[in-house]
Amino acid sequence: MESIQEKEKHVKAMERLVRAIWVFNWFNSCGCTELLPVISSRFDMERFGLIPVGTPRHADCLIITGYQTKKSIKRAVKIYEQMPEPKAVMALGSCTMTGGMYWDSYNTIKRLSDYMPVTIYVPGCPPRPEAIFHAVGMIFEHVKKAREEIERAKRRK
Amino acid sequence: MIEEIEKYNPREEGSTIWINIPSNKLHEILKKLKEIGFEHLSMINITDWIDKDVFEIGYFLWSSKYKKNIVVKTEIDRENAKIKTSSDIWNESAAIHERELHELFGVEFEKNNDLAPLFLEDWKEKPPFRKDFDWHEYVRKNYYDNNNEREKAYFDKNVTKN
Repeated sequence: MESIQEKEKHVKAMERLVRAIWVFNWFNSCGCTELLPVISSRFDMERFGLIPVGTPRHADCLIITGYQTKKSIKRAVKIYEQMPEPKAVMALGSCTMTGGMYWDSYNTIKRLSDYMPVTIYVPGCPPRPEAIFHAVGMIFEHVKKAREEIERAKRRK
Repeated sequence: MIEEIEKYNPREEGSTIWINIPSNKLHEILKKLKEIGFEHLSMINITDWIDKDVFEIGYFLWSSKYKKNIVVKTEIDRENAKIKTSSDIWNESAAIHERELHELFGVEFEKNNDLAPLFLEDWKEKPPFRKDFDWHEYVRKNYYDNNNEREKAYFDKNVTKN
């Protein structure tokens, strides 16, 4: 078991996410079509502190959209490994879960979680902007709950 | 307009001319067509006729001088699929098509010296676009587990029939 101090350190690092999630986008299939309105002014993801960054070394969250081919998954894993802790992976679209419409393709992977730890799956083909914000809200909720747990454990001591 | 192709019974439909030629004449005719004005190669395609045991290769050319398409088709043996490259006529624009077709059909384009894999990395099976490649079987073997309750359906032949 981790000590409370260690847990608190981890939660503190995660709380950075609540202030601003820096996102690295790995868009190479059609799952990203509904992410373009998320970035632009109608849905405006910057009001939640989501900012797209240019390099995985600055990113907190990796957004993987849609299917990955056997060739691109190797690059995706390399990108994931470059990200600093704490990191989250958001997998968009039904392709990342089951292969989607490519369920019997010889050249696409079927489950993203076989290759990297996926924090949250967002279903949809492709997911609507509201679903993406809901997922972000769930990440915030998770961090908030972790903080509350720490506080409760401290009080009990 | 073009005396060289007259003897191969060209068929004309709208702005497109279709001809079928023997494969040993292909390079010579393509070269001639480029000289007279069909300077743009739109694409190269391959059809796998497994019953006839041949690959049909089509070269789609466009001429801005005559405002006409021409489709040059030829048949090659499926087992020993070899044809002379046209990348000495159209350079890179033919070379990239040939590289793709070599990967997906296994056709050897002679004297094209860059036929490295384009999309498929670490591919050990037969070329996937050939009709005799059973991709259902390949997917079942490589991606799905028969003992997994959620994935059992993929092994049902009624679900994955062609």
